[in-house]
Amino acid sequence: MSGARPEPTEDELFTVTTIHRAPRELVFAALTEPEHLQHFWGPVGTHTPADRIVVELRVGGRFETTMINDANGQQHTMRAVYLDVERPGLLRWRETDSAVVTEIVLTDRGDGTTEVITTQYGLPPARRSPQARAGWRTALDRSVAYTATLAPPQHDLHPSRSTDPNPGSRP
Amino acid sequence: MLARVFAALGDPTRVELVTRLATGDASVTQLAEPLPMTQQAVSRHLRVLEDAGLVSRGRQAQARPAHLEVERLEEVLAWVGDRRREWLDRHERLAGHLAEIQEEQR
Repeated sequence: MSGARPEPTEDELFTVTTIHRAPRELVFAALTEPEHLQHFWGPVGTHTPADRIVVELRVGGRFETTMINDANGQQHTMRAVYLDVERPGLLRWRETDSAVVTEIVLTDRGDGTTEVITTQYGLPPARRSPQARAGWRTALDRSVAYTATLAPPQHDLHPSRSTDPNPGSRP
Repeated sequence: MLARVFAALGDPTRVELVTRLATGDASVTQLAEPLPMTQQAVSRHLRVLEDAGLVSRGRQAQARPAHLEVERLEEVLAWVGDRRREWLDRHERLAGHLAEIQEEQR
């Protein structure tokens, strides 16, 4: 069984830009406090208990969440370590299993709204590793994805707009 | 479709290699010919693609041609797509949460 993990790299997987209708400090708080994270971290059909969210908000500190499928109780824990923390403008963390780096840049737009750019970097899991194969499309992911398609939308208004630039425009 | 995987791979040289292999198998020599780098450099990139399962190498003693694994390409696309979708959906839910908490503060 291969124990090799992909090396963390600068390889960008995707980037999405979202305008949130809230001050930057509040958006940063929502992304870093368990009391906030529990409400939006996981998809419909799961819950993410606040008392199992770990945020050690400093370089080298832990960031961990556990999503529990409401229907069957299956759990998925994300474990990560912060690489950068700059309140209220920057968060970067690296997931322990996949070495994928998530970077969140928050910018005050001067009108009470905040631009949030979310980028992930990394490489797809090595094909030969069973852990890597289990890391995609696990039964939990599939059941959650299915449940999400059944649930009505939570909000009639969509106060945020997320876009991701056409990746084909990159070299 | 291929453009999205190219973005996922991130590196312009690997983009070139996958593009070339999409038209048929090729040896390291053939792959290196149009690129401004040594065959060793090309081999290193091929190893990254092999680790990702995107490229397989033939077993002929001399040539060991590189072969694009299209099914794997589609799996990688799905992997990247899932991660992007996860964050698009998460930001929608965050927007709803921010609206709720600011409403409560009125």
